[in-house]
Amino acid sequence: MTVATAAELPAEPAARDTTQRAHVLRRLFRDKVAFCAAIVLTLVGLSAIFAPVVAPHDPYLTDLSKVMQPPDLFDADKWSAKGPRHWFGTDNTGRDILSRVIYGARNTLLMGLCGVLIGGMLGGLLGILAAYYRKADGYIMRVVDIMLAFPALLIGLALAAIFGAGLTAVLIALVVSDIPGVARVARGSAMGVMGQEYMEAGRAVGVSDFTLIWRYLTLNCISTIFVYLTLRFGQTILIGSALGFLGMGAQPPVAELGMMAAQGRDFLFMAPHIATIPSLAIFVIVLAANLLGDALRDVLDPRLQT
Amino acid sequence: MGRQIAHRLLISIPALVGVLFLCFCLMQVVPADPAMIIAGPDAKKETIDAIRKDLGLDRPIPIQFIEYIVRVVQGDLGRSIISNKKVIEELSQTIGPTVELMLGAMLLAVPIGMSLGTLAAVKRGSVVDRIIMAFSVAGVSMPVFFIGLILIQYVGFKWALLPFTGRTGPVWAGGLPSLILPAVTLGAVLIGPISRLTRTAVLEVLGADFVRTARAKGLRETVVIVHHALRNALIPVVTLIGLQAAFLLGGAVVTETMFAWPGVGRLAVGAIVSSDFPTAQGAIMILAMAFLLINLLVDVLYVFLDPRVQRG
Repeated sequence: MTVATAAELPAEPAARDTTQRAHVLRRLFRDKVAFCAAIVLTLVGLSAIFAPVVAPHDPYLTDLSKVMQPPDLFDADKWSAKGPRHWFGTDNTGRDILSRVIYGARNTLLMGLCGVLIGGMLGGLLGILAAYYRKADGYIMRVVDIMLAFPALLIGLALAAIFGAGLTAVLIALVVSDIPGVARVARGSAMGVMGQEYMEAGRAVGVSDFTLIWRYLTLNCISTIFVYLTLRFGQTILIGSALGFLGMGAQPPVAELGMMAAQGRDFLFMAPHIATIPSLAIFVIVLAANLLGDALRDVLDPRLQT
Repeated sequence: MGRQIAHRLLISIPALVGVLFLCFCLMQVVPADPAMIIAGPDAKKETIDAIRKDLGLDRPIPIQFIEYIVRVVQGDLGRSIISNKKVIEELSQTIGPTVELMLGAMLLAVPIGMSLGTLAAVKRGSVVDRIIMAFSVAGVSMPVFFIGLILIQYVGFKWALLPFTGRTGPVWAGGLPSLILPAVTLGAVLIGPISRLTRTAVLEVLGADFVRTARAKGLRETVVIVHHALRNALIPVVTLIGLQAAFLLGGAVVTETMFAWPGVGRLAVGAIVSSDFPTAQGAIMILAMAFLLINLLVDVLYVFLDPRVQRG
């Protein structure tokens, strides 16, 4: 009987979970900036998921009769005109930029999300294991320190040199660059939990290592890790798109925002919108992610203040 | 203090070995076999084996790694496949411009970022604070190339105020105009994070007892802020500026590529695009070492700034 109660202790918050979550959301959305950021991110996310439905044109269809058309958006006369619209104009081969931005955002977001999620899982695991198995702590953190010695962009360059440029190289670079930070945050948070009495109680009643790590440690650290990852998301996208801009990421004709900006650079003086619009799209996504991350941190974990 | 610095130097050795190992791996996994390239496509197996033995490629990997370190220490990084120049020569020509660019960016970003951050902290909650913070969040979210594109388009092209491609020479030899746009681009992305960090650090210090004491003594507010608050806030700010080194380095690679600035970053990108492995490897190594060095310097500076720092 005692065993059951001890094991249930940390799991008990599960009952409160829904009310707590509603409370967090309510506090989050009282902040107007965070609310707007959430809406922007949701819209961008939805349009990325449903890109084939949302995009007005085929993002890969070139049309040499409509090369480098300026955005219709800036031309009020064209708003009511009939026929297919190019709200963001067309690029140097006549492809519709709005459609390419929608598809590009899809790849860019996916890249950032995979980087943060995979890196977060691996880093979180490392950090929690380091906190739990004190003997491994020194070794794990030493490895993490070495990983920290490589700026993400350099890892990306090195991987692109080894495997050739492509999304895989960028993705691995993003994962590797996210691991050390998450590992440190997770370790710090897990160390706090390790000092709690229920950890000792769990151990005393003979709960297995796996259960202790998963139900006691991980579930209690997860909100801190989550907040940190939200804050990292924007940075991850920035690094990914910088690698794309350098030509180390997605290869043409695949649309990726950083690479699109680089391609437009060659036509900057004739048609500045080709490079500016994808860059602006990255800016909007990262800004929304950062604002939401900041607000989330204030609500969930004010200690993570940077 | 000497002991602390020595300790710091010692713990940076594993990271240095890590950097070297990565660069060594870079040479190992390169798809082409160097012996086969030298021997040519029709060479006999014996010739290839002979060359392999000559190059030391038949020895065990750990031995090769040690030999590699010895070569690096001697400054032998091989020759560029494209230009056939020694990689070390290429690097020595490009490192200067990169350092110049980074210093220029820091000279711009650190004073501006720190004053904005201090101002925001002092005027906490006011409109000024809000504007500065909005500006810095925007700065943190801005891709480096976006700022560069806008500067090139307007300042460089439309208004034709400043050159935007290449480097005309060192700053002391009339190269300043060509440095301005790249340095502003790189500096602009750093202002956001620096001002944010300064604000947090100053806010923390402003609540401290010694600031209250300074005020109670009747010191002027400027003296309290500059001498008491900002000086103590410097410690976290310096470390955090060190953490921005990754930002600075990554930004430098992008900036150099955009402005055709003849630095190490551009060399690395060009070498990777043209599969010039020895050059790419050398350039990546130098950049990684530069990063280690910046962090080392920051840690040493930290010891000087804060006598309380305890080892470990």
